[in-house]
Amino acid sequence: MTNEIHGRLQSVLREVFDDPELTVADATTADQIDGWDSLMHVNIIIAVEQRFRVKFAAAEIAGLKDKGQNIGTFKQALAKKLATR
Amino acid sequence: MSVASAQFLVAALLFAAGFFRLPAGNWRRHLFVVALVAFLCFSLSGLPGLAGLTVFILSGYGVARWLAKSPNPMVFGGYVVLMIAAFLVLKKYDAVRYIVPAAWLDHPIAVAGLSYILFRQIHFLTDVLQGQVARFTLMGYVSYQLNPLTLLSGPIQRFQDFEKFWADPQPLLGDLHQLLCAFQRIMIGTIKVAFIGAVCLGQFESATNEITRAMLGEFPITRWFALSRFAEVLYLYPAYVYFNFSGYCDIVIGTGALIGMKIPENFDRPYVSRNMIDFWTRQHMSLSFWIRDYLFTPLYKAIAERLPRQAPSLVFVCYFVAFFLAGVWHGSSMNFVAFGLLHGLGVSATKIWERLLIRRYGRTGLRSYMESRQLRIVAVFVTLHFVCFSFLFFTPDLERTIGMLGMAARAVLFKQI
Repeated sequence: MTNEIHGRLQSVLREVFDDPELTVADATTADQIDGWDSLMHVNIIIAVEQRFRVKFAAAEIAGLKDKGQNIGTFKQALAKKLATR
Repeated sequence: MSVASAQFLVAALLFAAGFFRLPAGNWRRHLFVVALVAFLCFSLSGLPGLAGLTVFILSGYGVARWLAKSPNPMVFGGYVVLMIAAFLVLKKYDAVRYIVPAAWLDHPIAVAGLSYILFRQIHFLTDVLQGQVARFTLMGYVSYQLNPLTLLSGPIQRFQDFEKFWADPQPLLGDLHQLLCAFQRIMIGTIKVAFIGAVCLGQFESATNEITRAMLGEFPITRWFALSRFAEVLYLYPAYVYFNFSGYCDIVIGTGALIGMKIPENFDRPYVSRNMIDFWTRQHMSLSFWIRDYLFTPLYKAIAERLPRQAPSLVFVCYFVAFFLAGVWHGSSMNFVAFGLLHGLGVSATKIWERLLIRRYGRTGLRSYMESRQLRIVAVFVTLHFVCFSFLFFTPDLERTIGMLGMAARAVLFKQI
């Protein structure tokens, strides 16, 4: 399940950043990816919501880009959403 | 009561000294409420203010209870509209005079910290509606809203962060070093507010008074006079805003740390920002993050979901709407509209510039651009001056600002003024 989420999330990020070579690990943070600013963050959330058919609350969207957050925590939040869907 | 006043500091330190001597739980919460009531007695201006505050906060709590039971976006939307309308009337906004009878604005209700209460309430209700607040009580919510450390001028603390303190007030500071750092921060904050900020404000007022007298014809305006006084006004007001507000935040964040409450940071060296987007991640951070999370993101998301092709262009509308509202939130007169729109322009220009760089040099080129030390110095210089210019509109007298700008422009362009 985690691997599947990772693969799908990476494919969403490649699409949003228009970079087919983009590779992310659990420890990758938003700061380490060029162009992941507040605006791009919303674009990522929209793409993730559409691809995974989930909905994030305002506080969750903000929390996903907080200090200490990374792809691993993004995946955990996503997995939690998918489990309660 | 000013947080840099001797009364506040002595009261806060005495409170902090006694707080953890009480047993954990209700005893500490009760002492916090006693401090809150005492602070309100000093801050409220009479019974009408107390009545306004009570209605504003209790109605918010009532609607939150309703939303927690049955989340209904219509109820939420209707209440937020009502709340904003009440806010505009209570704060006597200029523009409201064209919509409601003048008598409505002729009221004696002055509610301390209403602007911050409004933003905290919108955040709280949004999070309750979206299931992001696990539990809340009347006393916890009222204490959150009337927290003496954030009531008058923020920072805009999120309810979830306050709740961590309220649920179980425990010491945050692990050792003597951290304790000393908290005291040091309170002392530095006091110096910033009471000395550096006060000197900047005094010099700024002296310069603006001289300019006003010169513009009234009391003495001739020379080129040197015009440029030197304008430079004082240009730099001193932003300096005053920074030292006063960041000093205030140092005091409340330091005091919060002493009583086990984590209050969000509000400043991160804003005047070394390299562009206006960077500036708003460093200046009044709790406000800019609130605007990002509860205004810009939902607005842009709604547009991008419905009109994905137009979203890259329509994002600029979102920037202007967000900064226009941020501007008018700061105050009720037209100069704040100008301030907000200027910042909307600055943020939009930053985004356009970034897109141009990416189109021309690609993301690798943008990275090299961002890493260049020389370009960073130029970018910081330009951003600082744009910010200083925008702060000319932050002062309440728009007519005087325009007069000063005209005087400075004549001094630059012509030898004779």
